[in-house]
Amino acid sequence: MFQLLSEGAPLYFTFASLALTVVGVVAGLLIGVLPGLGPLMGIVLMLPVAFHLPPIPAMAMLIAIQVGGSAGGSISAILLRIPGTPLAAATLFDGYPLAQKGRSQDAIGLSITASSIGGLIGGLVLVMFSPILAAFALNFAPPEYAAMAILGLLTIAIVSESSAIKGLIAGGFGLILATIGTDEFTNAYRFTFGNFNLTSGPHIVAIVVGLFALSELFFQIESGDFLKRPEIQKLVISFRALRLIAKHKVNVVRSALIGTFLGAIPGAGGDVSAFVSYAAAKRLSKPEEGYGEGAEGGVVATEAANNGCCGGALIPTLSLGIPGDASTAVLLGALFLLGFFPGPELFRYNPDIAGGIFLAYLCGNTVLFVAGIVLVPFFGAVLKVSKAWLLPAVLLLSMMGTYSLQNSIFDLWVMFFFGVAGYLLRKGNYPLAPIIIGIILGPVLENNLRRSLLISRDGLMIFVERPISATILIIVTLMLCYIVYVTIRPSPKTAVAADKGCL
Amino acid sequence: MRIQEFGFDWVAWAMLLCVPLIIFWQISTSLVEQEVASGGPLQNAAIFPRIVAWLMVALSGINLFRILGGRVSKRSPIEGTPTTRIALVSTVVFVAYLIALKPVGYYAATPILLASLLRMFGLGWASSIVGALSMTIVVAGIFEGLLNVVLPLGALKFTLFG
Repeated sequence: MFQLLSEGAPLYFTFASLALTVVGVVAGLLIGVLPGLGPLMGIVLMLPVAFHLPPIPAMAMLIAIQVGGSAGGSISAILLRIPGTPLAAATLFDGYPLAQKGRSQDAIGLSITASSIGGLIGGLVLVMFSPILAAFALNFAPPEYAAMAILGLLTIAIVSESSAIKGLIAGGFGLILATIGTDEFTNAYRFTFGNFNLTSGPHIVAIVVGLFALSELFFQIESGDFLKRPEIQKLVISFRALRLIAKHKVNVVRSALIGTFLGAIPGAGGDVSAFVSYAAAKRLSKPEEGYGEGAEGGVVATEAANNGCCGGALIPTLSLGIPGDASTAVLLGALFLLGFFPGPELFRYNPDIAGGIFLAYLCGNTVLFVAGIVLVPFFGAVLKVSKAWLLPAVLLLSMMGTYSLQNSIFDLWVMFFFGVAGYLLRKGNYPLAPIIIGIILGPVLENNLRRSLLISRDGLMIFVERPISATILIIVTLMLCYIVYVTIRPSPKTAVAADKGCL
Repeated sequence: MRIQEFGFDWVAWAMLLCVPLIIFWQISTSLVEQEVASGGPLQNAAIFPRIVAWLMVALSGINLFRILGGRVSKRSPIEGTPTTRIALVSTVVFVAYLIALKPVGYYAATPILLASLLRMFGLGWASSIVGALSMTIVVAGIFEGLLNVVLPLGALKFTLFG
């Protein structure tokens, strides 16, 4: 554990990495505060910039954005009753009532402090368990990697916000996108339509920016209210939350561990962990604490959990190469493009990089506490910026970021195409995260599937003859049975009726 | 009735069904021509895309029955909002920008795009023009000045920070 950190220390403790951690946390908080945007959008927008940086400063910035963005959503939830990100949805229950009692300063202070502590606890679990999981994964051969990729894709699809079938179709779309370009085994051009821009496949960043940023812009334009400026209570810098949170130490640790555990399950996500830890905190609370009416413990539980979740989500991402959610999928993609391959090889051949990433995550959460508290008045002011200014700025950053990847206008067309596709898919209630996971896991799955078939003399039997891959495939089969059950069970009118307001 | 109620479901379904169909078409043409559409796992570049395409067809089939039976999780009617028109016009302006970017260049095309958007979003002409110019220059400063990106120069080969 400490060996990895000490190997990563010389790489991480440089001016560039530390400065970019601060920049990343502030940018993440800023983007998390703004309703509709979130850590994923922040990572997506800064991804092109990251490719102009050395690996550790680049990853430090992206991870810091994730950390800041996960915490920033709570500020608008507390002040406006609009969660800046889905992660902060559960913070509404007690954060907003607490602000209505004239304690918005305390609510924000508690949310930032709990986020920071939750993130640090998640970070410690990450540092302890990732190397163990990676060491176990050294037993993996192509069949195990192929089975793990199927498991990762299936998990994300199942727990997506929409139906499992739609999640699986979206995942399949991602797998197909991953096959565009030159085939690694035969050097044949696949699905390039004679376009030389596609010989290496469409750039993943152009796809991600299109699917998430551009489609979100369409949605934001459709929702109107371009010039609306909300009223915000006056905010000042205060570290009183440190004293307040001491009363909730058990809650903080419990919620952070729940968040970390759920984060480590691919697809479970920060919003789920926030709701689960809120329910646990409420159940274990005393009636006089008044959960739902402005309880400090409610804010602490949700925020500790959703930032702990970030650390948890990095565990399978770094040690197995299986992303925990859409944000970590993009981080994984960034690490690929920076020239490193997450999984056991990362810990074996580049322990300094793994250690540097751990340090970036831990320091990001430390910076979060200071930056979150000191910049509170600034974030209050940012919430007053109207969408009329914000949307063109986000569009311009998305465009130039995408263009700068390869100085290519073709990438802008790819971004536009996937922006339209992302909009239509979201309107049709398809989850977008499985597409990205599919693109990331596609090459892992295809290469290891073909290698396995090459090694095997009995076709697919190699997958069931090896104990680890057989075990993983049993889990896959159980999940498929669950999907079949959910798909065919008789509940025909419930959702539609609920959507119509009948229930 | 169902078409109206699940309009975007149908659009997305049709769009995603096209994906495996394109894959099958490409396998039977381009990959066959390159002689990589059959054989063992080493020589067969079509093996994996074909499996995924068949899975997508099967899943799309299941989804078709779910839409027809009204068993999808949410309704998705194609209904506009008061600002859908602005969204559509913004999209057209953006496409025009992408077409013009290479011949006209970043410094000429971007302020026009941004000013049009700011104006459409309800800001006055003066604010829109000043805002558009400021954003164009700040972003150019970041990408051209700090990150050494060569932004599209256009016919005039104009640059501020390059």
